[in-house]
Formats: sequence, structure tokens, C-alpha cells
Amino acid sequence: MAVIQATQAPLQRRHSKVSGPQSAWGTAAAYAVGVVIVVITIVPLLYVILGGFRTTAQINEHPAGMPSPWVWTNYKTVITSSSFWHFLLNSTVVAVIATGLTVVLGAMAAFALSRYVFKGRDGLYAFFTIGLMFPLTVAALPLYLQLRRLGLLENLWGVAIPEAAFSLSITIVILRPFMRAIPAELEDAAVVNGTSRLGFFWRVLLPLSAPALTTVGVLAFVTSWNFYILPLLVFNNQIHFTLPLGVATFQSQYSVDTARVFAFTSLSMLPTLIFFVIAQRRIVGGLTGAVKG
Amino acid sequence: MAQVEYRHATRIYPGTSAPAVSALELEIQDGEFMVLVGPSGSGKSTALRMLAGLEAVDEGQIFIGDRDVTDVQPKDRDIAMVFQNYALYPHMTVAENIGFHLKIKKRPKAEIKQRVLEAAKLLDLEPYLDRKPARLSGGQRQRVAMGRAIVRQPQVFLMDEPLSNLDAKLRVATRTQIASLQRRLGVTTVYVTHDQVEAMTMGDRVAVLKDGILQQCDTPRALFDHPVNVFVAGFMGSPAMNLIELPVTEAGVSLSAAQIPLSPAQRAGVTGDKVTLGVRPEGWDIVSPAEGLVATVEVVEELGSDSYAYVTPKMEGFDDGRTIVVRAESGAHPPQKGEQIGLRPKTASVHLFDTTSGLRLSE
Repeated sequence: MAVIQATQAPLQRRHSKVSGPQSAWGTAAAYAVGVVIVVITIVPLLYVILGGFRTTAQINEHPAGMPSPWVWTNYKTVITSSSFWHFLLNSTVVAVIATGLTVVLGAMAAFALSRYVFKGRDGLYAFFTIGLMFPLTVAALPLYLQLRRLGLLENLWGVAIPEAAFSLSITIVILRPFMRAIPAELEDAAVVNGTSRLGFFWRVLLPLSAPALTTVGVLAFVTSWNFYILPLLVFNNQIHFTLPLGVATFQSQYSVDTARVFAFTSLSMLPTLIFFVIAQRRIVGGLTGAVKG
Repeated sequence: MAQVEYRHATRIYPGTSAPAVSALELEIQDGEFMVLVGPSGSGKSTALRMLAGLEAVDEGQIFIGDRDVTDVQPKDRDIAMVFQNYALYPHMTVAENIGFHLKIKKRPKAEIKQRVLEAAKLLDLEPYLDRKPARLSGGQRQRVAMGRAIVRQPQVFLMDEPLSNLDAKLRVATRTQIASLQRRLGVTTVYVTHDQVEAMTMGDRVAVLKDGILQQCDTPRALFDHPVNVFVAGFMGSPAMNLIELPVTEAGVSLSAAQIPLSPAQRAGVTGDKVTLGVRPEGWDIVSPAEGLVATVEVVEELGSDSYAYVTPKMEGFDDGRTIVVRAESGAHPPQKGEQIGLRPKTASVHLFDTTSGLRLSE
């Protein structure tokens, strides 16, 4: 009985704290902040999406109005245009390659950095983290020259490889602590069970790192999807354009037809949006959860 | 099945000067259950990991059977190991965990299934084969870890404190299970524990380690009856042996009224002017205060079958804070708190050690 009472007491105290008048204000404040953030995020998004359902005349007349009547032609023309699908395909190819490279290389690098002991390991890790602070814009010119020398201009790989390189920093920063947290005893067990070190990597470490791998995969994919400056540098020919470039071109082409630009923009956002909604829980899971032995 | 031999095996961790395991000489017979026991930092786990191949051997050699495995990879040593935290793969089911080694060895699927099932039957794990380790209780996880070792049919089982994560009751039950399983399978086993009760109850022989040095290796009975030094005497047995430092006189050693003569051989072994008298709790006769060492009872622990009295003796040179543990004869009237009693060691239960070297003074 004594034990039960002892454990109940702090629980009750915690409850009373939550329901007390002070915390009610705290909760309200938290909600208020949350609502403000949501509004700031959602309103422009909704404006663009709804704008696609209006005509340019409607928008010019009442910039903040609702569609009346709802117009479908904008979306229809975008969807039926071949260039949109072409941009989408390019974006997808680049994103898939970049994500694949990032996850594969990042996992291998994080494995070495987390589970091998060698001289200069921490220095190397620090070197990777420096990459986090390194904006692509600074590297734009040298990168352009490099890609030209490699003959990777006007080539999807010329975008995918640098994108993967720039995503590696965050990938390794997320993956290394995750892999480090996997108990050493598991590695001992795998080794005694007859696997090689690489066998441990494939059969135990990678499956256990799946949540973290999903996280970095999604991050790399979304980053690649939204990348603008790199494709802009590399691609001149419209047949290589990715969606962000396509949106920009479309904007300059139809700058008068605001509604159509809105429709195009909404549709190009859609894939990442859906992707995020589906993967959202896993992203958070990968950032918080480590494996217990 | 094979015998195991440590020949002068030494492990020095990088960056430390003192070896974690120092020149270990130990021979383990085919089919024997050998327990390595010692306090934390005694090198027992390191010694086991050296045998597993998880720690390098800096000096000396290790043999499994006739094979020198000193530089052999763990996977080629034909051993199976049970870890303290079980080290089950969380993403695999019980069946996959048990069959992991066989899968690595690319055995046919039917054979894997067959052997996993046999191991599971042996350990009552059949209903859980499709579960992930996270959904098992502590005892079940422990059995899965055992299953993973058994299914390999290795030459040697290595167990690194496999019971330390179980609650007290389950530990006692599992202790017996492991010991009987080992007898049945007849596989040479090296078992590491810090719990001397586990060591005494499970081992065919027990090796006591301290600071990386093997103190004594013998059967549990022999360790208990003839500890080679003060450390082993104090470590084995529960409650621990009472160790009392006494000056040496012409007649031998005197504890109040009791005179303990020293044989010539024993006298020759004394390097200083003191010896340590060791008497286990059950080695005392409780007499009237006039007849023995006068002591005041501080606490009485009643265990049902036994009762232990913790007493402070009236004696010069005996620390105030320390007590002597005495087992009261069952059936007799147990001493009461605050009572004054007399203590006299039974002649057959006296252990003598040289205080300076700590070594046993044998007759």
C-alpha cells in the first residue's frame, strides 16, 4: 500500500498543476502562438490554391475574394499541357537520384563515423557538419565551372550529384548519433553469430536505422524538389527544367494571367505536400527515437 | 565439444598501464561448466570476451580444442555467446533471432526451421516464435538468447552475466534451468558472474578473479573449505567470512579465552607479526559470556531456517563500526538484540591467513 500511495502522490500533484488556473493561461498562450503560426503558413498557400480556381479578372477585382463562380479551366490547362508533366518527370528523376545517393552514401559514411574507431574520426565528422553552414550560393560559381569541366551541364546528374553532396551534411548529422545509439552488444552478437562487419551493417544496422533513413530520405527528397538555383545554373534547355524552374518560366510567360500561374504553382507544390503529409510522422520518429537493445 | 585453455593470456586496454587480464592460466575440461567470478573490474568479462574474440589477446594464447584461436575471427571460433542484455535483434522475430546464425551460414530453409523449432521446444518458446523481442518478458528474452546459442551446436558456450537482468525469483529458477540444460547438452561452458551464490550453485569449477589476476580455481566445495587467500575467503560464501586480525604470540594466536596453536609450517608462513583469523558465520559456538569472546548483539536477521546475529565484540584493535556475523544454531534459543553472548570458534572451522601477504597458512 505504501508503495502505491507513494507513486500516486506525485501523479496527483502533476495533475493539479495542469488543471490549475495558471496553466490554463499557459495553454491558451500556446494555442494562440500555434494558431498564429498556422495562419501565417496556411493563408498564402490557400490563397494560391484558391486563386487557381478564379479568373484573373476576378483576382484583379477582389484580390482577397473567394472563387465565384469556381473556375476549373486553369487547372485543366496546366494538367493537360505537356510541359507541366515534363517538368514533373524531370523533378522526380532528379529527386530520386539525389535521394538515393544521399541515403546510400550518408548511411555508409555515418556507419564508418559511428562504429569504427580511427584517427581523425571526430575531425572528419566536424568537417561534415561544417557543410551545414555552407550555402550553395557561395559555391555557385566554382560549382558551375567544375560541372562544365566534367561535362555535366544540361545533364540531370549534374543537378542530382551536387544536391546529394549538399544533403550529405544533414544526413550524417542525423544518422551518426542514431547509429551510435544502437548498442555495441548487438554488434558483438552479430559478429559472434558469424557476420562480417559489413554483414552487421546490412543485416542489423540498416534495418534498425530505418526510421532515421526515412527521415533523411524525405528531407533530401524535399530539398531536391524545391531546389531552384542549382537547376537554374545547370539547365539552359527547357526540356531539362525541373518544376521550380518551370514555375519561374511559366510566371514570366504568363505574367498577365495570374490565375493560371496560381494553378501551376499549386500543382507543382502538390507532390511534396502529399509526400510530407504521408511521411510526417516518420520524420519526427526518426529524429526522436533510438533503438533499445 | 572441446576443452578450452588460456595460456598466459593477457589483455591490456590501450591507454592503461595495468592489464585488465594478467597472464591468465586456465584449463577448462571438455563438457565442464566453468564459472568466472569476481567483483566488478576483476577482468572476468574481459577474459570471456578474449575467448570470444571480441577483445584482442596482447600476450599469450587461447586454445579451443587443439586449435590456437588467438588470432582467429570470432565467427570462425565455433562459439556461441549469451549477453548480459541479451542483444536480441529488435527487428527480427524470435524465430529469426534464433535462426540468424544458420541463415548467415546459408543452411537450407527446411533445416533452419527444423533446428529453430527444436531449440524453441527445449526452451518453451514455441508459442512466441512469431513475436518481436519487444513483446516478450525479461525471462522469455533471456531464453531466446539461450536459444540463439543452443541452435548453433557450438564447441563452447560463453555466457556473460545472463541472469543479472532478471528479478530475484526468476533468477533462481533460470539458474537451475541453465545448469541442467548444460548438463544435458554436455557443451563446455564458460559463465561469467559477479554473484558468488550463482558461481557456487552452477559451476563444476569456479575461477575467482581479482584485478585481472586469477586467485584460485577449484570446485565450489574446495573454494569454500580451503580458500587460498583472504580475498577468496571473504568473497565466497554468504554472509561473508569474518576476518579478524590478531597478533602472533609464542603459543600461537589467542582470541579471548580460545587458544589457536600454529603448526611449524604455519609459523614459517607468517611474514609479519599478525595473522588473520577467518571464521564463517556458522563456525562459531555461542557460549556464555564468561567462556568466550564477549560480544553484544546489535541486530538479529531472522531468515526462518537460519538466524544471523550481528555482534560487536569487546576486543582491542577491533574497529568500532565492524561487526561479526554469527549463525545461531537452528532449534536453539536465538540471541536477542542487546544481549551479551560469548563466542568461541569451532576448531574445524578456523582459517588462518598471513595478514601481510593475505595467503593461507595451511597446516
